Formats: sequence, structure tokens, C-alpha cells
Amino acid sequence: MGMIANAYELIIYILEFFGVYGPIKNIFQVLGIEFVLKIIIVLVEVGILFVFVLLTVMFLTWMERKVVAMVQARYGPMVTGPRGLLQPVMDGVKLIGKEDIIPEKADRWIFTLAPFIVFIPALLVFIPIPFGQSLIISDLRVGLLYIIAISAVSPVAILLAGWASNNKYSLMGAMRAVAQDISYTIPLALAAIAIVLFTGSLSTVDIVNAQSGTWFGIIPKWFIFLQPLGFILFLIASIAEMGRIPFDFQESESELVAGFFTEYSGMKFAMFFLAEYAHLFAVSGIVVTLFLGGWSFPILPFVPPMLVPLVSLGVFLVKTYAVIFFAMWLRDTVPRMRIDQLLNLGWKIMVPLALLNLLLAGFLITVWGAF
Amino acid sequence: MAWISKNWTMSGIIKGLIVTLKHVLHIGNRPTVTVQYPYERMKLSPRFRGLHAVDENACIGCGICEVNCPNGTIRIVKHNTRWYPQVNIGMCLFCGICVDVCPMNAMKMTGNYELADYTRESLIYGPDRLLFNKEVKQ
Repeated sequence: MGMIANAYELIIYILEFFGVYGPIKNIFQVLGIEFVLKIIIVLVEVGILFVFVLLTVMFLTWMERKVVAMVQARYGPMVTGPRGLLQPVMDGVKLIGKEDIIPEKADRWIFTLAPFIVFIPALLVFIPIPFGQSLIISDLRVGLLYIIAISAVSPVAILLAGWASNNKYSLMGAMRAVAQDISYTIPLALAAIAIVLFTGSLSTVDIVNAQSGTWFGIIPKWFIFLQPLGFILFLIASIAEMGRIPFDFQESESELVAGFFTEYSGMKFAMFFLAEYAHLFAVSGIVVTLFLGGWSFPILPFVPPMLVPLVSLGVFLVKTYAVIFFAMWLRDTVPRMRIDQLLNLGWKIMVPLALLNLLLAGFLITVWGAF
Repeated sequence: MAWISKNWTMSGIIKGLIVTLKHVLHIGNRPTVTVQYPYERMKLSPRFRGLHAVDENACIGCGICEVNCPNGTIRIVKHNTRWYPQVNIGMCLFCGICVDVCPMNAMKMTGNYELADYTRESLIYGPDRLLFNKEVKQ
């Protein structure tokens, strides 16, 4: 199983395992359109990822409501399906059925475009995230850079949405979101660079592989133990980038009606909603990949090789859901900060601390020699 | 910046997180307090004042409840050769004075609080809907 690098090769491996890959390939070879087979396989794996992300997002909306409810001594959704599990489906049906309102004074084209520009990067981020051993769409050599670059698109789309709505609340929410995203991307990237110092590679698979194994047979070689400060900075910065409480200035509902999606309704609103939770899942996955060992776990070497992709997927999901639960838990606990406090925290504390963390990481590597 | 230099350990946030986690895990006396209303109901006080009920045999149709009702909710109407109160729930304020003044203790208030209806006319509860027969019940 060692040579299977990504999901494409895994699909081929599974097809070969059932003995159907050869005949299928022959058919396409005879027709002289072998590239079509490649495209089909790529489409299948992207489709699986898309469906998986959408199902996860639906589950996350349910989970968020359940966690809020449990903190507030309520039940949350209970009626639709077992324990309300089908509530997201009903919400989706409701949102699709709603009227799609475009304000008269809005910039129609940008207003329509913005939800897509928010939604598509939220899905694209998943391409270099390793969900498990050989469960990755593409192991980009610049994976981390790709992730940070793709996440940097969303403030643009939010500003487009806020501007096109022609509404003061939308515009204020969008401007806040952009200010917040710009000031928190810097500590986020700096904390990630400290990890790159250790691994010497931007590839997410290399980062996960560097974290497999243990120290003294007990402590897993996760970067959280080498980089506790970096982990805290990355976590705070990523929660701020997601725009969740205590940093939800882009949609602070008690101040700006709903921030940049005040004017949106129906399917476009649903796309913002989906993008928000896809982003939550992606960012939690990135936190897990960078600091919590990704899919690696000390028991993995003892698992039969056939089951490693499945078990590692399970490990990854457990860790990711732990991070997601932390984000939801924090959201239910702390109140929103003030916008000046947010920028103070970002520029005066997070950025210097991130630089200090980078210095510490370099110091650690120099002292310890080759990691 | 004073707020962060004083609380740089973020102990307040951590304390808050512990409290909310206790609620999530139901540690200590932290139950889920929501009642799933149509499927389960809260336990009512025995003194709850809901819809009226009139004892068919005890009521003498004296009209004292009609006189004492502050909103003029009650009227005495004829029902099967005897006189009984008729209550307009739409005007009733559920004060319970009619129960207190009844000389025969015929007027009761039940725990029925689901009194919403579609028309104003159906809010007028005549003796046919208020009467109960104590002997039959026991």
C-alpha cells in the first residue's frame, strides 16, 4: 500500500483488486481515448469528495445546533428524523423553495456571482487535505501555500457580496470581514511557516508523515508538542478567519443585521451557509494536518495494510470533529469581542507572538540538529 | 491593551469553557430542561386554573358566579330543565372567583389549558361542554 499516493491511484488499485481495471482500460485503449478514462476517474473522485463534503456540512449544521442546544440545556432539533438528523435536509428544501430576491438597487451580476466565489474556494481547499493514507485528491508540492492562497479568495468574495447588496449593513460587515481576514492571515501563515521549518516541505502528505511515530514510544510526534504556541496562534487565527464567535464581526447579528449576507435569500443564502460550514470543516482539517498529526496515530503500524486507508480516515475524522467541537464549544461560551479589540489582538499580540514562535522554531531546529 | 495584560492566562475563558462543557456532558445537576410539548407535557400544579367544569348534580343555578365574575364571562342558561352556567372563555381571565363564591362547590377549574379555537363562537362553552357528573366519575 505504500506506493499508492493519492485517491486516483487508490481507485485504480480497487478496480484492479476486483479485476475490472484491465478490461475497462482495454476498451478505452482500443477506442484510442485513454485520457477519457483518466477524466472519468478524476471526476469520480472529485464527485465523491464533493458529496462527502456536502454531507459533512449538513451534518455540521445539525451538530452545531445540537451543541448550542446542549450548552443551553435544550434538546435542539428533535422532530425531523431520529434526533432531528434530517433537519438539514428540511432546511435545504425550505431554502430552495424560498423566493430568490435581488434588491432593486443591487449590482445584479456581482450579487449573483458572489455566493459562487465564496462557495467554490471552500470546496477547492479540500484538494490537498489528506483525509487518510492515500486518501488525498492531489498531493501538491505547494499544498500549504495552495491552502493559504485559496482561503485568501474568500474575503474578496465577501467584499463583492457586501458591495453588490447596496446595503449599509452588508458593506460594513464586508469591510470588517476583510480587515479581519487580512490581519489574521498573517499570524496564520506565520504559524504554518514554523511547521514548514520542521518538515522542509509544503506538501501536506510530507507534513503528516513527519508527524508519524512517537518519542520514547509514548508521545506521538505531533507538532502540537513542538509548537504549542504556534498551535494556539493557528487555532485562534483560523477561528478568526472562519468568522466564528468570538470573532464573528462579518455577521455580528446584534450590530449588523446579518452582515454581508443581509440581502441574500433562498439558494444564494444557502450557498453562503454551506460555504461557512465547509470552511469550518476545511480549517479544522488543516489544524489537524498541521498540528495534530493528520491521519497518523501510534496504533496505525499495527493495522493490517488493507484497512489502513479506512482506519486513517477514521482517525482523521475523529481528530477533525474534536477541533470542530472545540470551535462550537468556544462559540457557545464566549461573547463577541469589539472590533478594535480584534484588530489590537491581531496586530499587537498575534503577529509579534507568531514571529517569536518562528524564532523559537528555528532555534529548536538549530539546537536539535536535524529533526 | 490593559484587558489582555491583566488576563493573559485567559482564565475567564477557560472557566467559562468548563462550565459549558459541564452542561454538555450533564455533569452535576444540569439536566435538559426543555419539554417536547406536543409529545410530553409539564406537570401542572393541582391549583392550576384552566377550563371550568361544573358538577351537574351540585349546581343549583343560583347565579352567584354570574354576579361575581369581573369580566361578565358567565351567563346562566337553561340546559335540560335545569339552569347551569355558560362560560365565554374568550373573556375569562381565569381568576377563579367563580370557584371561590360557589355556595355548593359545584364550580371547578380543570388542568385543560389547550383552549385555542378557530371562531369566537366556539369559545363559548355551554353547559353541555362544562358539566361533569361526580357520581359517574367516582
